Amino acid sequence: MPFNLFRKKIQENPTIIKYWRKNPKSIEKYQFIYHFLPHPKTKRRASLISNKAIFLYCSLIILIAVAFRIIPKFAPGVLGYASNINIKDLLEYTNKKRGDTGLSDLRLNAKLTAAAQAKAADMFKDGYWSHVAPDGAEPWDFILGQNYDYIYAGENLAKNFSTSKEVVEAWFKSPSHKSNLLGANYDEVGFAVVNGVMNGYETTLVVQMFGRPRQPSMVASVYEEKNVLEGQKSETLVAPVQGSQTSAAEEPAKVAIAPASPKVDVTIATKSISLAFGGFVGSLLAVDLFYSKKKGINKLTGQTFAHLFILLVVIAGIWFVLKPGIVL
Amino acid sequence: MMENIKEHIIEYMVLFVAMTGFICLLMIFRYNKLALLGVSGIGSVFYILWGIIHHAIRKRLTRTIAYEYILFGILVFLLLFTVLSF
Repeated sequence: MPFNLFRKKIQENPTIIKYWRKNPKSIEKYQFIYHFLPHPKTKRRASLISNKAIFLYCSLIILIAVAFRIIPKFAPGVLGYASNINIKDLLEYTNKKRGDTGLSDLRLNAKLTAAAQAKAADMFKDGYWSHVAPDGAEPWDFILGQNYDYIYAGENLAKNFSTSKEVVEAWFKSPSHKSNLLGANYDEVGFAVVNGVMNGYETTLVVQMFGRPRQPSMVASVYEEKNVLEGQKSETLVAPVQGSQTSAAEEPAKVAIAPASPKVDVTIATKSISLAFGGFVGSLLAVDLFYSKKKGINKLTGQTFAHLFILLVVIAGIWFVLKPGIVL
Repeated sequence: MMENIKEHIIEYMVLFVAMTGFICLLMIFRYNKLALLGVSGIGSVFYILWGIIHHAIRKRLTRTIAYEYILFGILVFLLLFTVLSF
């Protein structure tokens, strides 16, 4: 009940206060504070952390998750993953990992880079995320398509990452990708960092292709490597859109290496939603714990401390541990 | 609160050790989303069982309390799932 209304009622009938004191239930529905605090009489938690409220929060989270799956189907590219990945950093971090284990640096090869770009463009064009294309094309087909004659070759894929360091770290943490990253049989590497829309989400695909040329004399020189890196910088930045890309064979050099910036960053949005719900419920549980102790309210409920503890663990996990990105 | 924890120190130690293990598993599998979803599911189920067993031992288990732990278990799983599934 608004304060003015209380005052008006008291002015109209001064004895009403006595009535309210004797019959607190008559104004209980106006006791807004018990949405946030445990009730000393009913010995229940605040209504905002009652079982019904928790059920409502769960339903809301499910609805939001469903909406995030549906929106990209109707408005492709609105949701996505912001990223700032570039080939120079990928090469640097890859060679740092190799250097740490005593392996020689990989040279950036123009043909392997073109093959990686062709693979990335093909994945956006046909909307797949796999080492083997729906038409059966394998990574080796893209490498041979650039006339790179190899004796050893390999491929690492990554998507939805934010930075170059995260990409290389993720490959390093995965045993199969690590074996490529630290492969002693490889002399050269090629990268593609391509922004586009896949399954309705704007994202950045990273393709890493490894190789050892059949002729050792064919290994890229420092000058060639520098040329590839310079070429990447000077390329026209074109963000490919699903179904409208030119094929890599026609125009393999046009690669989007600008930072991807969708209207809504899914990573930030989902983290914020989880942290908001978790933080809200956690705060009310903390208030419940403090207020119940202060007022000596012995509630007939589950352990508030245990609920708060597990929520804090989950919030810490979401905040510090969970990162976006998938490797393949 | 502290009295309650001291009284049931073993149960709370089990919860503490399990949650520490949970965080460790999240860090170990931080780049494997499928494994992380599995770890989240196991963590949630563990918490529900912990709560139910904790109250059953004290003979204070009611249907409402059981629902409460189930709902909190689902809530923590959904908080993790929302981040992991995108």
